[in-house]
This record gives sequence, structure tokens and C-alpha cells, in this order.
Amino acid sequence: MNDIYMGELVRLSAMDVDEISKAFSRWSRNSEFRRLLDSGVARTSSQNGTKKWFEKELDDQSINQHWFSIRKLDDDTLLGDIDLYVYNWPARDTFVGIGIGERDFWGKGYGTDAMRVILRYAFTEINMKRVTLSVFEYNPRAIRSYEKAGFRHEGRLRKLLNKEGRRWDMLMMGILREEWMEQDGTKTAN
Amino acid sequence: MRDLFRGELVRITAEEPEVRAKVEVRWQGDSEFHRLADSEPVMMESEKKLKEWFEKQNEDGFTPERFPFSVRTLDDDKHIGFFVLWLDLIHSEAWVGIGIGEREYWGRGYGTDMMKLCLRYAFTELNVYRVSLGLHAYNPRALRAYEKAGFRLEGRTRKDTRREGRYTDGLWMGILRTEWESMQTEGGT
Repeated sequence: MNDIYMGELVRLSAMDVDEISKAFSRWSRNSEFRRLLDSGVARTSSQNGTKKWFEKELDDQSINQHWFSIRKLDDDTLLGDIDLYVYNWPARDTFVGIGIGERDFWGKGYGTDAMRVILRYAFTEINMKRVTLSVFEYNPRAIRSYEKAGFRHEGRLRKLLNKEGRRWDMLMMGILREEWMEQDGTKTAN
Repeated sequence: MRDLFRGELVRITAEEPEVRAKVEVRWQGDSEFHRLADSEPVMMESEKKLKEWFEKQNEDGFTPERFPFSVRTLDDDKHIGFFVLWLDLIHSEAWVGIGIGEREYWGRGYGTDMMKLCLRYAFTELNVYRVSLGLHAYNPRALRAYEKAGFRLEGRTRKDTRREGRYTDGLWMGILRTEWESMQTEGGT
């Protein structure tokens, strides 16, 4: 069996609370990262506060929640984090969230590769039927990356967000197990 | 000023945990109601547990984010349903959850009247820019009611629910303030 944590550019590893808190509070000084990550208010976060948040989040880690660090394959640099949250077991549907904090590595395929690895984990390890995500209209780089990883557009909630003095849409995307099997499923066999 | 709490068929009242829990036990005994209302596996919960849950919701708030109401008929004061608005303060938008637990009131215009009160409250009291909701594709009655209230279909998450051995889609709808306002002048309500 091959290493399911290994991609072509990155690998997924366990979250180290000290390391990720330190990195995340540094990444959050970049307001652009913070604003692309979620719809919350961009706030600088202290290392201490971030640590408490991650500790709680990882303590709660159950069969419903799967957190990973994203590391560069060649030199082990911490690039970001990615997580799955299974919110519907009867339908085996999970939500995915991803952030590449090191902006020097934006737009170079690292996020897409991490997403491919977590999709394989979602479909072949926790045996999901579908993976869901939402993304903001003002993040075209992410939208392209998700399309490349195989997500299909499923919805557009018009003008849900208010940023920089105007309204923006929130997009919904999803990929089904059978779509993933067709596109990437054979790769796991080698 | 207009009475925000009174429609043509129903009025809305405070959510009283004790009253709400008692009636919820009855409604949860109707598996069809419960399966139309959400995606969680249908479970019947005890009155005690439900009461504690509703109390906790009210403690955590009345936070500025959650606005729950019970719905009663105007003619005989029967407690037939509820709606809740969850407000996002930053983006001025709200999500609505709505249901009629007493099934003899389905398909008779009560839901439409409730939604009118709900939208008026959202747009003229919470002053939101947009209201959103989600529903199951196997609930065409709700879809028609929401369309009538002015919601537009904006998304379809494929096969995100599995019921009765089949995968079905989730539907997502929204209405903007401008759309709601133009309906008010056209329709006169």
C-alpha cells in the first residue's frame, strides 16, 4: 500500500500545536491571508490565543475532525494546514478547509497537491461519499485550484459577503466519490 | 408603526424553553416532519434534554446572533411552529430555519404568512442585506413556498443527503433586500 499522506509536492503531517500557533500568528499579520481564509473579521492573533484555539480544536479531534499540517516534500517547510470535518455521516459528506500561510508558495501548485492528498484520504481512508467546500468570489486563485483538484461548481450565494465596501458572492463546490474514482481513483493502486 | 409580530393568520411570540420542549417532543414523534426539517438522523429526544438545550440557546444569547420565535395561530392561539434567524453581524446577512410541526396546518398558507413576518423582521428590524436558507430536494412543498416568498434558487449540492435508500440533493436559496423591497411595493403587503 502506498503512503496516503504523500503527494507530489507536499506531504500531510500531524499538527504540532506550538509550531502551528507560532506560524499561524505570523501568517495572520498578512491581512490578505486572513481575509481569504474565512469570512470572519481579519484580526491579528497572538501566539498565545492561537495556541489555545488550536489546543481546543485538536483536543476535540474525534472521528469527525481530521487536521493536518501541509509540509513541503523536499525540505519539510511548514506551508499551511488543511482539515476535514465530517458533518453528515449518514450521507458521508465532509467539509474541507485549507490555507497556505506562506505566501511565497501561493500559485505554485502546493495547495492543489495538498487538496489531492486530502481527497484521497477522504475517499479511501474515511470512505466519504462526497467532499464539500465554500469559497469567496474574491479568491479566484483558490477557485482555479479547486477546479483543478476536481471540484464542480454547485452554487453561488449572491452577495453574501461585505468586504472592501461592496458585496461579493459565496460559491459552493463539491466532488462526489464516483467523480474522484474516475479521475484519480486508479492512481491509488500503483 | 406596523405590528412586526402579527400577520394575517399567525402571530409570533417569545420562545419559552419549557413550552417549546413540550411541543417539540410531540413534533419529533412525526418522523416526516423531522426528516423535512433537517439532515441529522431523526431521533426522539426527552423533554428534559430539549428544555435544557433551548435554555442553553437563550443563555448563550440572547446573543445578538440568534433570534428565535414561536408561532401561534391568531384565531385559537395554537402553537403550530417556529422560526429562527441567525444573524451574521459583520456581513449583515441572516440564515433562517422555519417549520410547522402541526401537520394539519401544512399547505394552508400558514407557512407563507410566517415567512412574511420572518422576512419583514430580517429586512426592517435586523436590517440585513440578504436572507438565506437551505432545504432538501425532496421537500417540493417548501420549495414552492420559499419561491412564493421571493427566494431564488442559488445552489444544488448534489447527493448530500441519503434518505430511504437514495441520495438526494441539498438546495440553497437566497433573497436580497432589493428584491424583497420591490415585492412590497408591487404586492402591497
